Amino acid sequence: MSGFGGAPARLEERIRVDADGQVTAFSGKVEFGQGIRTAFAKIVAGELGVPIERVTVVLGDTALVPYDMGTFGSRSIAQDGEILRRAAAHARVLLAAKRPLVGPIPDLIPGEPAPPAAGPRRVEAADIVTGRARYVADLRLPGMLRGAVARPPVRGARPSRVDDGAARAMSGVVAVVRDGDLVGVVAERQAQAVAAVQALEIEWLRPEVPEQDTQSIAIRDDPGVDAALGGAATRVEATYAMPYISNAPIGPSAAVADVRTDGVTVYAGTQRPFGLRDEIASAVGVESERVRVIPLMPSGTYGRNSVGDAALEAARLSKACGRPVLLQWSREEEFAQGPARPACTLEIAAGTNEAGRLVAWCYDEHTNAHGSGGARDIKIAPFTSGRNAVPPYAVPCLAVTLHIEPSPLRTASFRSLAAAENVFAIESLVDELAAARGEDPLELRLRNTQDPRLRAVLEAVAERSGWGARPRGEGHGYGMACTLYAHGTYVAQVAEVTVAPNGRVRLGRFWCAVDPGRVIDTNGVRNQCEGAIVQSASWTLLEELKQRDGRVATTGWDTYPIATFRDAPAEIDVHVMGTQSEAPTGVGEPPGVPVAAAIANAVFSACGARVRELPITADRVRTARR
Amino acid sequence: MKYRIDVNGAARDLDVPRGTTLLDALRDDLGLTATRYGCGRGQCGACFVLADGRAVASCLMSVEQAALHRIVTVEGLGDGERLDAVQRAFVDEDAMQCGYCTSGMLISATALLARQPAPEEDEIRDALAPNLCRCGVQLRAIRAVERAAREGR
Repeated sequence: MSGFGGAPARLEERIRVDADGQVTAFSGKVEFGQGIRTAFAKIVAGELGVPIERVTVVLGDTALVPYDMGTFGSRSIAQDGEILRRAAAHARVLLAAKRPLVGPIPDLIPGEPAPPAAGPRRVEAADIVTGRARYVADLRLPGMLRGAVARPPVRGARPSRVDDGAARAMSGVVAVVRDGDLVGVVAERQAQAVAAVQALEIEWLRPEVPEQDTQSIAIRDDPGVDAALGGAATRVEATYAMPYISNAPIGPSAAVADVRTDGVTVYAGTQRPFGLRDEIASAVGVESERVRVIPLMPSGTYGRNSVGDAALEAARLSKACGRPVLLQWSREEEFAQGPARPACTLEIAAGTNEAGRLVAWCYDEHTNAHGSGGARDIKIAPFTSGRNAVPPYAVPCLAVTLHIEPSPLRTASFRSLAAAENVFAIESLVDELAAARGEDPLELRLRNTQDPRLRAVLEAVAERSGWGARPRGEGHGYGMACTLYAHGTYVAQVAEVTVAPNGRVRLGRFWCAVDPGRVIDTNGVRNQCEGAIVQSASWTLLEELKQRDGRVATTGWDTYPIATFRDAPAEIDVHVMGTQSEAPTGVGEPPGVPVAAAIANAVFSACGARVRELPITADRVRTARR
Repeated sequence: MKYRIDVNGAARDLDVPRGTTLLDALRDDLGLTATRYGCGRGQCGACFVLADGRAVASCLMSVEQAALHRIVTVEGLGDGERLDAVQRAFVDEDAMQCGYCTSGMLISATALLARQPAPEEDEIRDALAPNLCRCGVQLRAIRAVERAAREGR
């Protein structure tokens, strides 16, 4: 295995051991709550045979770590965890031989991987509960000003005339900044910057919106699908839909930029520090080598930090005023200006023979561009906007077509990209097929997959939830769904729900069996699974980003409710069944993927209501129950 | 305007514009950044502090109002080095992911346990419902509050 850019990874870029025995490990991945700093520290300490307290992990600082594409796709443990493991194992050999820690990291290390070191469940925990942890917006630099930016009434509108007389005269205002289409204020205090922006009189030019076509990409196109569907003994056709939703981080975007003639430093919550470095360089007109991006902890943003809006704006403000600037977006800006997860309409027709074996499957996925870069690229799109569009079942005759449609809203990356929508449709449809055949959906799934690891998670979750023996109906039910997520993590889940007479759905217990290959940190896997389930249940039951003609109508949590402590499931049982012989495949995204179908299928089993459009509101349940 | 407020057991002097929120004063003037901005409308709990033992949104409280209460932030829990029972329980249960909303949860949990030392699960859910958490650590946080109740007794 090679490092990025084709060059083999080098030991001196990855591990440093000081004379006093302190170890520093370097990775271009970043931490935003998923626990990779802890996992990396455990891997490195384990291979070197030192206590975890001696290991410091440096993440994402572009001046200190080797180049990295970015932290997404639940790939950190698989990619950098593996490089660090080999680096540390190799370093141990060199240290024993009293040789310097330089040179290429070998592709193969003889022997088994060392067990990860013991240590705290999260290395940042004590700093977080005492308030010592420094998040991006917590940084205070000498001479730092606060920024705020004027927002256009519609996306893409450009300022034609700016009257800043009133704003300039306001208390604390240092400068009104006009840099191309960016109009903003820098002031001594946050409230002063915000008030001054509100005092700007701006005339905006309506944007010319370029027409964009729908782009259709055939992911699978077996001949004879229509004929095979026509000959099916049982055939179900259904259309599913999901609305736009927001990444909705608890902390709105923030960044600190310090643009000086001798160099640029930007502190940001970013998933792509090196990509952001190049974008900053271009925005302020310097060479990339003059820009240092230092990732600090952001609030969890679940993909939203693949685009560096606040950092770019902060850099432009700092350049204009010659002082460091902290830009803190407001809650309203985060909802209205941040990217949304695409909406989708998903059409499936599928059929089985008499024996309940799938004979044909035809799927049309209509969605918008998922992902931040190259989202419409025909080579990339099947793995982003079309992620998990192909069912994990053995289907002899399969057609899967991805249609990327224009969107009035800005869309980008949200945890698991299109897998959440595709698996909602696929796993709902499987449940509908089983219902049409009058059989247990678990049996239908097992009959149609030979993949031993998928079968294993399905059987495990069925056993732990007592799937077969539980009574259903009269407002109380169970639903199952599974996925083989993009790059190899297997998940099967069972949701328990109660449906009130008025249609309101409440989660009961939730069971999850997960096989992410080799497991580094069992508690970390559990925490990610639990969190992804709670978050995805929130998408499923509550969330919709309201918009009209491309203007977001949601401004705060009152109009965008998410799951609270009262809505969280009664209990979540996570069964971690890592296959130790397999490479680790990640858990940040996969456990959220089957949740919507598991809940929708549970609602059907509870009351006969088949809800095919999210969120599953009381209204929709009542309508579907009739 | 000059104000004097009682924060974490000490009198602190402030010279800030009239109408400055307690949140901004804590973060920008007193260097106490554990209290975080989340929405500015009292809807998310990220900025909760204790005011005379009750959890309140510091984004909705002016410094002038704050001067009438004893304010405690997360920096004032425990005694500097040693964690208190609530902080320790959140660490032991790994009841956090990004940790951005953790401060607010610690404040709500502290206020709850002060008025109800042995809360039922429903009471914990109700007390922490104003604290939004997008990472989804609610069940761990509930276990942490239960643990803090047990171990704090």
